Amino acid sequence: MKASGSTNWKGPVKFRMPTAENLVPIRLDIQFEGQRYKDAFTWNPSDADNEIAIFARRTVKDLKLPPAFVTQITQSIQSQLADFRAYEGQDMYTGEKIIPIKLDLRVNHTLIKDQFLWDLNNFESDPEEFARTLCKDLGVEDPEVGPAVTFAIREQLYEIAVQSVSSARESRLSKKSRRGSDYGSASKASGLSMDLVKLFSFKSSVVRKRKDLDVYEPMVDLLTNEEVDALEAREERHAR
Amino acid sequence: MEVTTDRSSSKDAELELELELYTIPAQSSWFVWDDIHEIERREFTEFFSESSITRTPKVYKEYRDFIINKYREDTSRRLTFTSIRKYLIGDVNLLRKVFLFLEKWGLINFLQKSDDVVVEESEAKIEQGTTPAGIRVTSTPNSTRPVIAPPLVEERAEPALTFPPLTSYSDVFKKPALVCGQPCPSHSAAFYEHNNKSNLCDKCFKNGGENNSAELIGSSAAAAWTEEETLLLLESVLKHGHDWELVAQSVSTKSRLDCISKLIELPFGDFLMGSASGRLRSSVPTEDEHLSSPSNLVQQMKTDGQEHKETETREENEEDEPPAKRKRAAMMSDGDSYLMKQVAAMACKVGPSVTTAAAKAAIAALCDEASCPKDIFETTSDYKNSAADRSVGDKDTSDIEEQQEEKEGLEDLPVGLRMRVSVATALGAAAAHAKVLADQEEREMELLVASVIDQQLKKMKSKLKFLEELEVIMDAEEKVMEGAKETIIQERISVLQSAFSGGITKRWDHTCVK
Repeated sequence: MKASGSTNWKGPVKFRMPTAENLVPIRLDIQFEGQRYKDAFTWNPSDADNEIAIFARRTVKDLKLPPAFVTQITQSIQSQLADFRAYEGQDMYTGEKIIPIKLDLRVNHTLIKDQFLWDLNNFESDPEEFARTLCKDLGVEDPEVGPAVTFAIREQLYEIAVQSVSSARESRLSKKSRRGSDYGSASKASGLSMDLVKLFSFKSSVVRKRKDLDVYEPMVDLLTNEEVDALEAREERHAR
Repeated sequence: MEVTTDRSSSKDAELELELELYTIPAQSSWFVWDDIHEIERREFTEFFSESSITRTPKVYKEYRDFIINKYREDTSRRLTFTSIRKYLIGDVNLLRKVFLFLEKWGLINFLQKSDDVVVEESEAKIEQGTTPAGIRVTSTPNSTRPVIAPPLVEERAEPALTFPPLTSYSDVFKKPALVCGQPCPSHSAAFYEHNNKSNLCDKCFKNGGENNSAELIGSSAAAAWTEEETLLLLESVLKHGHDWELVAQSVSTKSRLDCISKLIELPFGDFLMGSASGRLRSSVPTEDEHLSSPSNLVQQMKTDGQEHKETETREENEEDEPPAKRKRAAMMSDGDSYLMKQVAAMACKVGPSVTTAAAKAAIAALCDEASCPKDIFETTSDYKNSAADRSVGDKDTSDIEEQQEEKEGLEDLPVGLRMRVSVATALGAAAAHAKVLADQEEREMELLVASVIDQQLKKMKSKLKFLEELEVIMDAEEKVMEGAKETIIQERISVLQSAFSGGITKRWDHTCVK
């Protein structure tokens, strides 16, 4: 049964990124003839398809890559978009789902570690704005950090959205899901969300306890060149 | 609320008073601690719609109170979203929304410059002092302690978002004003007044760079300039030209900027500055204050020239030191070219009507002084004529003496007048040359117009010819048509004849004959 009468079960909505702008995170990692092209960016799925080819050509030209990359890039983007579109027709659950999003990324010389809560149900959320505020407040000067943070957030949101689609499918099959609020089932599916009822009840405060403060605090590190090289070498080793 | 009173009671009386007062903008006076206002309800419908357990009024109030309290812990620093987000559980986007809402209404970060608008807003506030529309929000409303204004903080008197910049001020001043919106007790007492009537201290003005086209009225920079320093300056400027570093080195006691400003103020200093300081020419202390229109500029320049001559004579009379005289003489030879160049440049820049007006004015001014040069010229020409005569004829000692006397007499004329004379001749020569050129131009123009008219006539003629030919052709055709008509009629007649001879019925008769 519904708890406290305060939840509203919204019907399943069509799959989309739970952000204000429906942008798809695209990751590229192409190796060819000894050259490696790694990139991560957001793509607007409502762009025309020929834009992909144009983008690929422009990228290859700007980065002076061998022309074989054009087709590879195009293919990669197209397949990822196709995956996204495959999900688009389906339903996903939109319950209360506040999940922690973790950031642990290195962009050039900046290392960012952060954790914060994100409401998947908030379709007005804006990773770009969040990233911008983060960089501004922490005084990050490298302009590449913002987009990287945005991408990381979107990637995680995308994964969870995908999971919620599959969970929706599951619960449609099973009859048990009719009962209970969706956040319960969704949380079981993702295994990540918080115990919202406990947190937001009348008794507890919304202010975080001291012991949790460090976890949720952003940490920005500026690395020296040697450290960057060391980290890169380690990453290479892991990749292989 | 309890927190703040606890904190305040543990500090000094003065600090207590200051801590208790938080300034928020007048339009946010609806805010109360104990309740959630209608404005907040409207803004954050998601909290109040009872649609979720994570968004309840209680939660909203906690967020809000926490953020405001956090800000008031230290009102001197700007509260950033990132710093408080770690304290609160909940969707960061929602938290951000609450944060922005509070910031917009000035309930937090009211006294802080927001980074986004620092460029515009901070320039706007020239006056410092109490925030105009701010009200005092005391944490203990019923306190009997007197209300004391918060300490004036010079750099942070600007509100974050609410007031639009004063456009006239911000249009004129870019970065330099940032330093100088405030009275600068640390800077020297001299002020430069801008035509917008705001005060800059000289240091800030100089730091703003010579790009400022502000006008300088008023006393000169830093210390006074002694005679020796002035001399040194002039010499070094002559030697080094535009290299201000070397000039400053030569005039050891004065900085680079001091040198430049002193030079500007000297009456002929701007001649030395050359074309680079075209705008700075205006700085010669004159009565003219309005240099907005180019015509004024040219007139100004003309008055410059006049005053320049006058000051020369004045200085001459004051018996300046030899170097200064030498300076002037040397400069005059250069001055001509500068002068001419300036005139030419200005004439190019402004429109022709303006140039004519300026030329007329200049001529009028020169004619006023015409009496003196005329005399001089007449004596000179007389002298020349007489010299020519006498060189032909026999030379008497008396004649030679006369010549010598005349020569001396000529030289007795003050140097200043000779200067004026030579300048006047230079300008006159330029005027004559200009007239010649103008006549040439006119003739050329007439020639061109005539050729244009010629061409038009030719066109007309050829068109007429064409039409005539057409007419001829038409006539010929008409004849042919007539001929054809005749033959047709003939044929018809013959047909009818044969028809009649063959015999036709009455009825048919009618139709045929028709």
